[in-house]
Amino acid sequence: MPPSIKARYPLTWRVMDALEWLADRLWPRSMSRHTGWLLIAPSLIIVGSLVVGMIEIADTSLRTLDTATFRMSESYSLANYQKLATSDVYLTVAWRSLLGAVLTTALTLILAFPYAYIMVRTRSAAARKALLICLFLPFFIGQVVRAYGWLIILGNDGIINQATGLIGLDPHRFLFNFPAVVFGLVQYMLPFAVLMLAPALTAIPEEVETAAKSLGASWPRTMRHVVLPMARPGLIGAGLVVLTLSLTDFAMPAMLGGGSQDFIANAIYDQFFRTSDAGLGAALTLLLVMGGTFLVGVVLSVFGAGTLAAGRRA
Amino acid sequence: MTHTIGRMSRRHLLAGSSAALIMAGAGSRAKASEPEKPAEIIVRAWGGSWVDSLKAGVSDPFTKLTGIGVRHDLTEDNEIRPKVWAAVDQGRVPPIHINWDTTTNATKSALRGITVDLSDLPNLKNAMETAKPVGLDGFPIVNTYGYVYVLAYRPEAFPNGAPKSWKELLDPRLKGRVAFYNDGIGMHFPAQVAGGGKLEDIPSNMAPAWEFIKQLKTQSPLLGEDPDFTTWFQKGEIDAACTISTNAREAKKNGINVAWTVPEEGCKYDTDGFWIPKGLPANEEYWAKQYINLALSVESQQIWLDGLGLPGVIPGVKPPAGLMGDPSYPTTPEDFKHLIRIPGKVQVENESEWFATFKSIMQG
Repeated sequence: MPPSIKARYPLTWRVMDALEWLADRLWPRSMSRHTGWLLIAPSLIIVGSLVVGMIEIADTSLRTLDTATFRMSESYSLANYQKLATSDVYLTVAWRSLLGAVLTTALTLILAFPYAYIMVRTRSAAARKALLICLFLPFFIGQVVRAYGWLIILGNDGIINQATGLIGLDPHRFLFNFPAVVFGLVQYMLPFAVLMLAPALTAIPEEVETAAKSLGASWPRTMRHVVLPMARPGLIGAGLVVLTLSLTDFAMPAMLGGGSQDFIANAIYDQFFRTSDAGLGAALTLLLVMGGTFLVGVVLSVFGAGTLAAGRRA
Repeated sequence: MTHTIGRMSRRHLLAGSSAALIMAGAGSRAKASEPEKPAEIIVRAWGGSWVDSLKAGVSDPFTKLTGIGVRHDLTEDNEIRPKVWAAVDQGRVPPIHINWDTTTNATKSALRGITVDLSDLPNLKNAMETAKPVGLDGFPIVNTYGYVYVLAYRPEAFPNGAPKSWKELLDPRLKGRVAFYNDGIGMHFPAQVAGGGKLEDIPSNMAPAWEFIKQLKTQSPLLGEDPDFTTWFQKGEIDAACTISTNAREAKKNGINVAWTVPEEGCKYDTDGFWIPKGLPANEEYWAKQYINLALSVESQQIWLDGLGLPGVIPGVKPPAGLMGDPSYPTTPEDFKHLIRIPGKVQVENESEWFATFKSIMQG
């Protein structure tokens, strides 16, 4: 008697057969030329939802608030955009957001690169673990809690001022200014940047550096001409993540800025929630999205490499 | 505060809540006509000592009287508003039964037409004029107490005594040591006077206010929200602030030497209140109204506002210890002479522009 199917085939094969049968029912072979669309369907749904949301925001941005009824106008106008274009405060806030985001990106990458490099190249397992722990511990602590931590450390009666007080120095105001906001953002963004840089550096064979050295290149020249160019996709990816997150940040300017260092996100919050002017808030939101997208486009087209090359060969 | 509840007898509560409430007319017939009781009602509130006081003075007694639980939703007042507006506009049941709100913010909801009329609350008959929102028809909101945006200060920083004028904040030694609300609320009107303008010119000409605020900007002030002021006083970050007296009092309760005053230019007087969003099931709206009615009883106001250190809107509420005659606790017409009260409607219609102007000065 021939062995039963159960005995002839292992369980995993039978499960795979069943799944294949199910897939064939759900997506018949005749549809196979459309399989590519099926695979990108989730991303299309996500992007589609965002587009629908943006259309809604664009619609709201063209309506003005009637303060007699606190309802948005039925008719469309460009009044909100005119207000933004003619108001110094929004220009100041936009410029501050951009400057803060660029400074944060530059400083974060400067700090993240050596951190990631040492983490990847160190021969000591203990050192690598210590660096990973130092990286991940703050990563799991929320932004607001971290900002509060800095309030405690850098405040007028915080740890730093207490320490400097021991040598007779007067308390110094470290908080509630633009540098404090950038400092908080850099500290918050550092783990993101290191995590994005580490795989890029791991992908660079150590032998390439050895080869450069064997040809007479000093360590700084090896870094400049070999490692940094090869790490460019990682640097660009990390830079873009840090840039966009910083540009849209809310908590750090609100908590470490002392109320006078608003970023665009803070201005958007004020319009939606404080003054109930959803039209002006929507106009600001749209400009932030367009500004951020433009920046990302510029960075990709100028510096993009590998998968991040915007239509160019790396 | 809890010990005060203990002193409040059920009999007093019943009488105080004028049990038109629920128990008016007493007897089984009245009870039989009561709408069905929900398991709980949701009251949006501010956290910390604010919600503790409300719980002790109103929520706990309400639960004791009716058996209906009270859940306090501590969502920020500015953030609950769009949610309630959206729910009412879309015909959904609002996420809260009662919004404890600033009168200015509540006025926006009233102008939008989404608040339930509260004119039929029995305890309103006993209420003072301050319970009525200025510039609105009827009672789409009920003001429950008033407060003053005082000049709070650390006495060590003012060795010559309490500052007599807001202009004293321009003293160079106070650079970086003064604080205001981040939207300038509380400061716009005194600044109008301190800048040499007239209150009658609000809102048509506020140039003097903006000029004075520009001078204040040179002092690099900190800008924040209610909890920030208490924290900043406690952490030694500031010497003076324009804030609600409750925040200064909270810092004082925590052992910080903070005092407050009403300078010669005056201080802004404002109110907070309760409102009920439209769209609740009829029985839940009824019990929400009873909650507000209870909040307007002498007994509830006494406990609730003892905790906040603020003057109520029902005659007979005694000032808490230490606040008798305090400028932040106005009770007589003489007290109100130094306070600035601008109708809520004028405020909401112009606040967006005022906030933007204040921000453009402070963010510059």
